[in-house]
Amino acid sequence: MTGIRKCLLAGLVCVALGAGATVAQAAAGQRIKVTGEVIDSWCYLTEIMYPEGSAHHQCALWCAAGGIPVGILADDGTVYTVLKFEGDSTSNASPKVLEIQSHRVTVEGEVYARDGINYLLIDRVVDDRGIVKLTHDDYGIQPFGK
Amino acid sequence: MRHLMIAAVLAAGFLSAGAARAAESWGLPDEEIVRFEAKVVDVLCELTGDCPAQCGAGKRQLGLLRDDGTLVLAVKNMAPFSGAVDELADFCAMRVVADGLFTTNRGYTIFALHFVKAVPDGKWRRANRFLSKWAERNGLDPKDKKVKRWFENDPQVKALIARDGKLGLGLEADRKFLEE
Repeated sequence: MTGIRKCLLAGLVCVALGAGATVAQAAAGQRIKVTGEVIDSWCYLTEIMYPEGSAHHQCALWCAAGGIPVGILADDGTVYTVLKFEGDSTSNASPKVLEIQSHRVTVEGEVYARDGINYLLIDRVVDDRGIVKLTHDDYGIQPFGK
Repeated sequence: MRHLMIAAVLAAGFLSAGAARAAESWGLPDEEIVRFEAKVVDVLCELTGDCPAQCGAGKRQLGLLRDDGTLVLAVKNMAPFSGAVDELADFCAMRVVADGLFTTNRGYTIFALHFVKAVPDGKWRRANRFLSKWAERNGLDPKDKKVKRWFENDPQVKALIARDGKLGLGLEADRKFLEE
């Protein structure tokens, strides 16, 4: 819900100018701890190829370096879109995020749900198991097989 | 079916400019071809009020804020394996007409940008500026043959694969797998 909508609902007169408008639109995030696999959100959500584990690692690096939003696929199936990583707000081709691509991680941070997308601001990585989903024997190297 | 979808997406990325300025189907799940007006925003800024200059100057994910308040996450562009930040960064805080595809799967709706122009009378841009921007960032001519297959030539990716392998499990795991 936008800040303007909130103001209207509250029956308040809102004067939203410049930075004030931005502050008015900001909402509080919720603290969260998530365990799952770091994924490429495009390949996973479109299913244009097999999108998980070692079979997809090279493609996941390409997509992250190309600036496609990196996600975390939680164990319960929820997909989180990473916007911030350990204090760094670089979310377009972040070198730090590329380092954990395809890894199984547990992270703590804040989540903002907006229009069906779960945006995740990671404060810290609690656990990093590396790549544990070994899928290449079944699916080869995605998408070109080499 | 998956191979057809991959081929469609890759072919779209490799095609040169000059085609009609309207999105065409990629055969994605629950796909919708759309054209709408919106304001280009820094998604993190929109959510939290943390708003650096120029929408983060290309370092942050960008979104499209529609007039009804809906925030659309721009995930993809028209170039292979790349996102929409380079396509939208020039339009930070501006109103644009976005043309592309919504796809909905697993309960999530995301957007692939195919063409964009400034409101009201900007010139249509094909959403593949990533390639020329990548060339610029890497000191290459945009027509260099390395650019179309940028993903195989990206220094950051090459360094990670040289260290960890294509499977991410180490070079020995790659060697064994590729020998089989």
